[in-house]
Amino acid sequence: MIQHPPLTEGVYYILLSLYEPRHGYGIIQLTEQLTNDRVKLGAGTIYGAIKTLLDKGWIKPVDDDGRKKEYIITSTGKEMIEYEILRLKELYDNGIRITRGDND
Amino acid sequence: MTKKLTKIRFFLDYEKEEQWVNEMCLKGWHLVKFGVGNFKFVKGEPGEYIYRNEMITSLGKKDNSKEYISFLNETGVELVAQFGPWAYFRKKFSEGPFELYSDTSSKIQYLNRIIYLFVFFALINFFFGFSNSLNFDSNFTRGIGIANFIAALLITFPLIIVFKRRKALKSNLDIFHD
Repeated sequence: MIQHPPLTEGVYYILLSLYEPRHGYGIIQLTEQLTNDRVKLGAGTIYGAIKTLLDKGWIKPVDDDGRKKEYIITSTGKEMIEYEILRLKELYDNGIRITRGDND
Repeated sequence: MTKKLTKIRFFLDYEKEEQWVNEMCLKGWHLVKFGVGNFKFVKGEPGEYIYRNEMITSLGKKDNSKEYISFLNETGVELVAQFGPWAYFRKKFSEGPFELYSDTSSKIQYLNRIIYLFVFFALINFFFGFSNSLNFDSNFTRGIGIANFIAALLITFPLIIVFKRRKALKSNLDIFHD
């Protein structure tokens, strides 16, 4: 599997939010809800991230009928999330194993 | 009739300026317009809004500011006023904390945008400062040259502040992935 550097928390939650079509405000709300208000994404941060993710082809705009632009994750974006989840699981497992002392 | 107030203030640091605008809001003066060193306020409820300023145009890129402003609108952020590359935004205090940039990486990206624009204008003014001051035929042109130097210096001070700010943020990234 190709290696990737870790995603920022912001990008991780933006990509997760876009498993369903959402606009900027929808991303902010879902992320606050998922993290119990711990991660409050700034609108400027999201705007910049959306531009970059569109350029990379990790997300795409949903054919919009109205004023608010919605986005959805692409298959490349999903691969990135899957890879990140594996990486986080490795971090988590190693952390638990060593701090709980059952590393025999 | 709404009470109005105009204040003349000069800030080298745009963050100090933002802080002052928020202090004015706490005293019940809401910013509605701004320009070079002048700020217009109207009387309103003390502390009703949180204000944020941002340099919204960037060098060498197509102007997305309209799209950006409407994106911010959708998240409940209101444009107060625009002047040159700068804009002031606000959000109701009751709607919770309001920051435009929430992580270190995007804050650094934003500072980079400021640095590019400031360096560009500083260099232009230094260049014309030299070429105009060396014109010994015209006192007027030499006067313009001095004005160029002053402008270049006035850009250099905030530039140093922004560089320091970026350095502090970058040291964060040595340990945190944010």
